[in-house]
Amino acid sequence: MSRDELSAQQLAELAALDRILAREPVGEEHLELAALVDSVRAGAPRMDGGFAARLDATIAQRVAGSGARRARLPRLSPRRFAFAGGGLVAAAVALTIVISGGLLNSREPNFSPPATSGPRLASPSAAGHARVVAPTATFGATASPAPLGASGASNSATSVTPSAHGRLVQRGSTLTLATTPATMQAVANRVVAATERQGGVVESSNVEIQGSASYASFSLAVPSGRLGSLIATLSGLASVRALTQSTNDITDGYNQETARLADSVAERAALLKQLAVAATAADATSIQNQIDALARRIAAEHRAIDRLLNEGHTATVQVNVVPGASTRHSSAGGPLSRAFHDALHALEEILAIALIALAIVLPFALCALALWWAATSLRQRARERAMRTA
Amino acid sequence: MTAIATLPASGPGPREQFEALYRSSAADIYAYVASLLRDRTAAEDVTSLAFERAFRRRALFDVHRGSARAWLFAIARNAALDELRRRQRSGALRHDVADDSAQPEEIDSDLAERRLLVRDGLATLEPPEREVILLKFVGRLSNAELGRVLGCSESNAGTRLHRAIERLREACGVTR
Repeated sequence: MSRDELSAQQLAELAALDRILAREPVGEEHLELAALVDSVRAGAPRMDGGFAARLDATIAQRVAGSGARRARLPRLSPRRFAFAGGGLVAAAVALTIVISGGLLNSREPNFSPPATSGPRLASPSAAGHARVVAPTATFGATASPAPLGASGASNSATSVTPSAHGRLVQRGSTLTLATTPATMQAVANRVVAATERQGGVVESSNVEIQGSASYASFSLAVPSGRLGSLIATLSGLASVRALTQSTNDITDGYNQETARLADSVAERAALLKQLAVAATAADATSIQNQIDALARRIAAEHRAIDRLLNEGHTATVQVNVVPGASTRHSSAGGPLSRAFHDALHALEEILAIALIALAIVLPFALCALALWWAATSLRQRARERAMRTA
Repeated sequence: MTAIATLPASGPGPREQFEALYRSSAADIYAYVASLLRDRTAAEDVTSLAFERAFRRRALFDVHRGSARAWLFAIARNAALDELRRRQRSGALRHDVADDSAQPEEIDSDLAERRLLVRDGLATLEPPEREVILLKFVGRLSNAELGRVLGCSESNAGTRLHRAIERLREACGVTR
């Protein structure tokens, strides 16, 4: 039998005690206990009349004063408050995890296509391949080829000139989209349509619809000024897996070609003057042969300049569409969908901030709770000690 | 067993509930506190303080943790023990409980002698034993409530109670 276990007789006596205190009848064997209870209660100290009256008045005043002052709002007990608080915190944390997890899982590589209206002009140091350059300027529509950076020089050999900022940049992009095999053909059709809407052409394409091995690739050429909007449109057709953009500064080559052309033109002018004053037929024939050769060279230099200008004017886009889970469809990109995603994102941010705040507050709260618990325990032990030594 | 089983923090008549609790418990609270402190003045102060605290904290009362009467006795007990600690620190212990015992009644001499015997016997018990007797006999708490007030289990409260009764019987020379 443990220390707290009572015998059946003792338990019966305690049960009888409860009946005595409830003024219920008990058996004869418990009459002695009833007499003991009566004696203890009768011998207990009693309030004197004066104190009882004062206490009555105090309580009446306190209760009446409370009712007159304000109607108290229902208050939560500490346990309910702890349950409610804990529940709210747990719900917030769970919601944050669910939303964050969901968004993170569904988030594809989010490359914002550059919003540009024209070919980008890279700084000289950015010549060669680079990821993305900041938009700076657009090409003009009409001008003459002139060495870039030499403002004011003009030549009527071509109708296009690099921008006033003086750099001619060749641009290219590679975009990889993922969509389900079932929508592969539809996405491919939209790639072509989007390219044509932007004034571009599909230089080559390869579309294979074979279930999970479906694949589509396109080589597109689009005016540099519309590259940004084309990338933006294509990015909305399916999930963007990768986007690479490159730039190549071809200004030096262009300048060399225009300088060479200017020399040739000047040389031809000189030859034409010599031809006009040729003394003999042999001299005239020789000069004419030189002029003809020079004309061929000038034509070749014109073609080279045109090619360079075309490279700067037309951006190439390589689009690969691969099978995969698509979370973005062109039909799902409406304002409502965007608003929903924005709202989710905002909620995620708010919950993240709340989580951070909780992470800061929680240790302090736990410390305070531990201190409160320790202080309460110590105080209670001190009270018990006071009882024992009274 | 108790006049007031619950003390709702809100709803119809919480003030009336508190007043009813006060009316049904005030005399017992005073008796319990005075027996613990054995000081009439201090018992009055502590009784007032206990009701003041109970009124202030009435919204924190949780019906699931016992009756309002048990909750009130726990408050009174803490207030009384705090008073004991304060007096022990200042060395101001007083024992004048004999002055605030029950008023004489028209009873036969045997009964009066027995009550005197029990009162003296109760005074010889250890304070924790005396307290458990008072909480049970005067406070009329159930054993579960007794355990909650004393900070022990219900079965342990029952054991302590039975042991205290046995000691009281021995102190009074009662034979069964």
